[in-house]
Amino acid sequence: MKKLLALASLLLLTACATVTKVDTGTNTVGERMSISLDSSWNHLDFPGIKPAQVWTMEGVTVDEFLIYAGIREGQAMHPENPSGSKQKDFVFHSSMQAEDIVALFEGVLTRDNSVFKLRKLEPYRFAGKNGFRFEFERIRKIDNVQLRGVGFGAVDGGELFALLYQAPRLAFFPRYQAQVEAIARSASLR
Amino acid sequence: MNRRQLLAAAGASCVAGLLARPAWAQSAANYAVPPRFVRPDIASDEGGLWAMMDREEKSLRRSPLVLRDADLKAYVEGIACRLGADHCADIRVFLVRTPLFNANMAPNGMIQIWTGLLLRMENEAQLAAVIGHEIGHYLQRHSLERLRDIKSKAAFGQVLGLLGLVGAVGQVAVLASAYAYGREHENEADRIGAFLMHQAGYDVAESAKVWENLLQEAQARDGAEPDKSSPLFATHPAPPERRDALEQLAKALPGGTKGSAAYAAHTARFLDEWLQDEVKRGQYAESLVLLTRLIASGTASALASYYRGEAYRLRGGADDQELALADYRTSAADPNPPAQAFRGIGLIARQRGQRAEAAQAFARYLELAPDAPDSAFIKVYISELS
Ligand SMILES: [Zn+2]
Repeated sequence: MKKLLALASLLLLTACATVTKVDTGTNTVGERMSISLDSSWNHLDFPGIKPAQVWTMEGVTVDEFLIYAGIREGQAMHPENPSGSKQKDFVFHSSMQAEDIVALFEGVLTRDNSVFKLRKLEPYRFAGKNGFRFEFERIRKIDNVQLRGVGFGAVDGGELFALLYQAPRLAFFPRYQAQVEAIARSASLR
Repeated sequence: MNRRQLLAAAGASCVAGLLARPAWAQSAANYAVPPRFVRPDIASDEGGLWAMMDREEKSLRRSPLVLRDADLKAYVEGIACRLGADHCADIRVFLVRTPLFNANMAPNGMIQIWTGLLLRMENEAQLAAVIGHEIGHYLQRHSLERLRDIKSKAAFGQVLGLLGLVGAVGQVAVLASAYAYGREHENEADRIGAFLMHQAGYDVAESAKVWENLLQEAQARDGAEPDKSSPLFATHPAPPERRDALEQLAKALPGGTKGSAAYAAHTARFLDEWLQDEVKRGQYAESLVLLTRLIASGTASALASYYRGEAYRLRGGADDQELALADYRTSAADPNPPAQAFRGIGLIARQRGQRAEAAQAFARYLELAPDAPDSAFIKVYISELS
């Protein structure tokens, strides 16, 4: 019952969240990160996942572009846990290796009992830093939709900068993957 | 009810058990199984409930979360048939990949069992206890009584309205199962489950162990009073009470087999995946109790040691790195070690600046798992370290 009410309130929040258009060109996200866009995106003001931001092309029930522009030492990823249970927060530490950071993402993406499978983890120059790129598959528990996803990230000055995109694997992921890869290549820090 | 009251209640029933066999223990020995059910009229509330569950089953059939493994499905269906006897033809089992302890049976004969429950069963008799309990609800048509009860509550329409908003029809079943059966129904299902287990030749005492093991996990997470915080324990009779009642039933229904070897044989192939899902939940206190139990029982101990190491490493407490390393080493020393144990050693050694040990462990990892998803990353580590 608790779970159900949490679901209902999540839906309400989603319905009430304000959507703002993010224009093409160079956009600054957070204090230090800039990315440039070829198309405009929709930014959802969704308080539950701060300090990350959620953008979407088709609507968050379809695709999600999560932007982490400076997660600090000891800061939790998505601290307001939508499942409403007393599950632990997944906390970032600046000493973490790439594997540990991917495990953080796995943690938050399976908190709703979705299934996550890491497909690939490889070195990647992100925003001019030695970072990582990973690919994954996810079966979203709430609607059984099979998603594909890709993530990019690096730690700089003790802060985590990362991008993560996920969308239904057949139609939507292939449609936007190239754009997302281009955004990742455009990332810079100041 | 606080813990002291629980213990007092448990104690009281033990005393009663000594003095005279409780009435419910006697009734467990002679339950009259009803004949097979015929599909109810669609216009009736029961017919509506069946139709709702038929829709849920249809969507479940397509779900990518349902395990497609024919052997495991046949094995679990075989257990359900032994217990259900004449009702076997009406029972359909779905194994769902979700790392939580959960099972339910719908009035139309659909049983769902989650992999988090399968991971926690130590033998076939324990799984039979869970399935027997669910068949108990089914035979007594408890869900119909529950539906009639829910309908009288205003909250139902309200929440249904919200779900209707997003068209999540399948979620109605979640709603129905979110409303717990009452305590009377649970106790009755336990009694019938024990009867069916005994009839099918299973050791009824194993049913109490299911609750004892769950209780230990919950206590590790929440301290001494787990019944309030866990949704499972909040909606079911408190585990100590339930465990004690089942122990009494077992005394009235002695004998039977555990089926430990058969259970291990049919589930061994899945342990890696299930343990991986388990540790990802981030509920390290619970996972550590489960993994320690698996290691102690000797079940796939190399794998369980590796995942306990993962749980420690990911928890990241003061001594956890040391504990993780010890488990990874135990796992790696096994004649048939999981490749990831070497990655674990490598990651810790690298973090500690032990370059040679890290490089060696990573090399062994890639030797054992050349196609590992992180192989490109590990190769960079090795070249940096040497
Ligand atoms: Zn029950």
